[in-house]
Amino acid sequence: MSAPTSARTTLSTSKAGPSTAGPLLSINGLTKHFPLKGGLFGQSRGVVRAVDGISFDVAEGETLGIVGESGCGKSTTARLLVDLISPDSGSVILGGRTLGVDLTVRDLRRQVQMVFQDSYASLNPRLTMQDAIAFGPMVNGMARDKAVALARDLLARVGLDPGRFAGRYPHELSGGQRQRVNIARALAFSPKIVVLDEAVSALDKSVEAQVLNLLADLKAELGLTYIFISHDLNVVRYMSDRVMVMYLGQVAEIGPVDALYAAPAHPYSQALLAAMPSMDPDRRTMEAPLAGDPPNPINPPPGCRFHTRCRQADAVCSVTVPVLHALPQKGHLASCHLHIPGSGHTGAAPRTELAP
Amino acid sequence: MSAPLVEIENLNVRFHGPRTVHAVNGVSLRLEAGETLGILGESGSGKSVTLKTLLRLLPENRTEIGGSVRVDGVDILSLDGRALADHRGGVASMIFQDPMLALDPVYNIGEQIAEAVIRHEGCDKAAGWARALDMLTRVRIPSPERRLKAYPHEMSGGMRQRAMIALALACRPKLLLADEPTTALDATVQIQILLLLRELQREFGMGMIFVTHDIGVAVEVSDRVAVMYAGEIVESGSVRDLIRDPRHPYTKGLLAANLHGAVKGARLQAIPGAPPALDAVPAACSFAPRCPLKLASCDLARPPVAVPAPGRSVRCVLAG
Repeated sequence: MSAPTSARTTLSTSKAGPSTAGPLLSINGLTKHFPLKGGLFGQSRGVVRAVDGISFDVAEGETLGIVGESGCGKSTTARLLVDLISPDSGSVILGGRTLGVDLTVRDLRRQVQMVFQDSYASLNPRLTMQDAIAFGPMVNGMARDKAVALARDLLARVGLDPGRFAGRYPHELSGGQRQRVNIARALAFSPKIVVLDEAVSALDKSVEAQVLNLLADLKAELGLTYIFISHDLNVVRYMSDRVMVMYLGQVAEIGPVDALYAAPAHPYSQALLAAMPSMDPDRRTMEAPLAGDPPNPINPPPGCRFHTRCRQADAVCSVTVPVLHALPQKGHLASCHLHIPGSGHTGAAPRTELAP
Repeated sequence: MSAPLVEIENLNVRFHGPRTVHAVNGVSLRLEAGETLGILGESGSGKSVTLKTLLRLLPENRTEIGGSVRVDGVDILSLDGRALADHRGGVASMIFQDPMLALDPVYNIGEQIAEAVIRHEGCDKAAGWARALDMLTRVRIPSPERRLKAYPHEMSGGMRQRAMIALALACRPKLLLADEPTTALDATVQIQILLLLRELQREFGMGMIFVTHDIGVAVEVSDRVAVMYAGEIVESGSVRDLIRDPRHPYTKGLLAANLHGAVKGARLQAIPGAPPALDAVPAACSFAPRCPLKLASCDLARPPVAVPAPGRSVRCVLAG
């Protein structure tokens, strides 16, 4: 598939080298609203606020986990990162270069690759595994024999014997094998970042563990950076260095994985972690941490989006939108009025003078 | 001791088609009244097929079922016509992963529940609707009077799941069959539904068989757990025994792959390979090709079922 040419690709690329300092990937105020069509004469009936002003950084060599429930915007975020959909506002900065200013979509996608959940739908049913992996490099100008050699090398690297698998079609492989091929294809451009959007969620547990081991090996060998999206909190804890919790298109909390799992600050993160099965028959969950379903992102509640389900909600929560606020632990931030001194929440600390 | 609610002896299920699939191979299990059995297994392990046999939901003309299946003393495999219809929904009832497929999109929730009650209990329409309202209240659907008139597409995922549970339990079945009912739900909704099922099971004194691929979910709801692999039960026992002291190498592998308490950076103890194709009746241990503890004898004959402790069974030569 060739990259759709957007207006951005025509902009000139500056020759300035990537800056070495600072994060590898920086996301600032990224927003994507999907208009709802289908009213009379196709007029808009409102917008789905899929991603609403999120910002985060990813350092080189780390794994950032993204968790949240369906509709929280984690997959939309992933698609925005590789420009499969274009944001309404906000910026994607890779290695100091801004997408659409001095970074083209083509350059971005060479450095940021993606693996999707549905291993079968991600592969062309008429291409053999070898051709599927070689396709991208060939479109980008690599000679066929070189691209095929690369494809066979990558197949071996992800644990599939090229002699047996190179000529097979997607339907001749199991789900775990297909996902290995998708990972190999993502590596064909030697990307810096791989976005794994529920990449192991459809696999059986025993196969999932094999693929997670493979991902860990590849990261160590190739110095990759992962953005690992999953709804399985156990897998995210195992894989990630930092984790970001999303709720209805916004960042609820972000921080080092151990700190966040040990002491989640946002009431939503607390509920999400408390909803994990206990794995102990003598200490079963006796009370559901949250009632009801997540609200509709078409009409998110005003103020803090979580206040309708939050046990600690106060008057201020339904009025004022909380901003991400730094917690004592370095790099740990939460957007909850409880943790913002002087926010007006009865549980919050009084406003203090800013430390010099 | 009274007769068990469910008694399956040496169940074999084959699907005929372009190739024959041996989906279930010699499964025997019992369920006492009021007990919850979790059946744990990966895709293709035969867990759902076993469950569907209890309602005879498998396509008749392509399926060959052998062995004996008794629910509440009745031989299920010989049921026919009206007797089978009485059994489905009356004695045993099922809930599914996707409530959108289980509920009829052109009738509202109240009509669907009332219809089932009228059919099974022969009561009038008013009594049927009264039961529908009672059921929606019991499954904690907010403002149940209003929701009686709601259509499935007007409800959220968690609410639809509750409506399906209300429909399944409306005729007070003795046995509830749950086929991955929480797999498609978000974590915070999943735990609500699990707690609800646990509570309703106690309240109605039902037996429940809960099929899942998620160990954590099985631990939350089950009294006993049976682990299936390649159409066989490889291990069964109380949930405590199974979690704390798994005996079959496959169960051990599954527990390790759950990542609960996995150490970051340490390699996962992954089970190598993939489950076998079920083209033939297993002549040896089905798990042997993937087993880290395999002995020469594992390839020669099916291992016998060992009983290492009362109430436990393990199909492994090492467990004897």
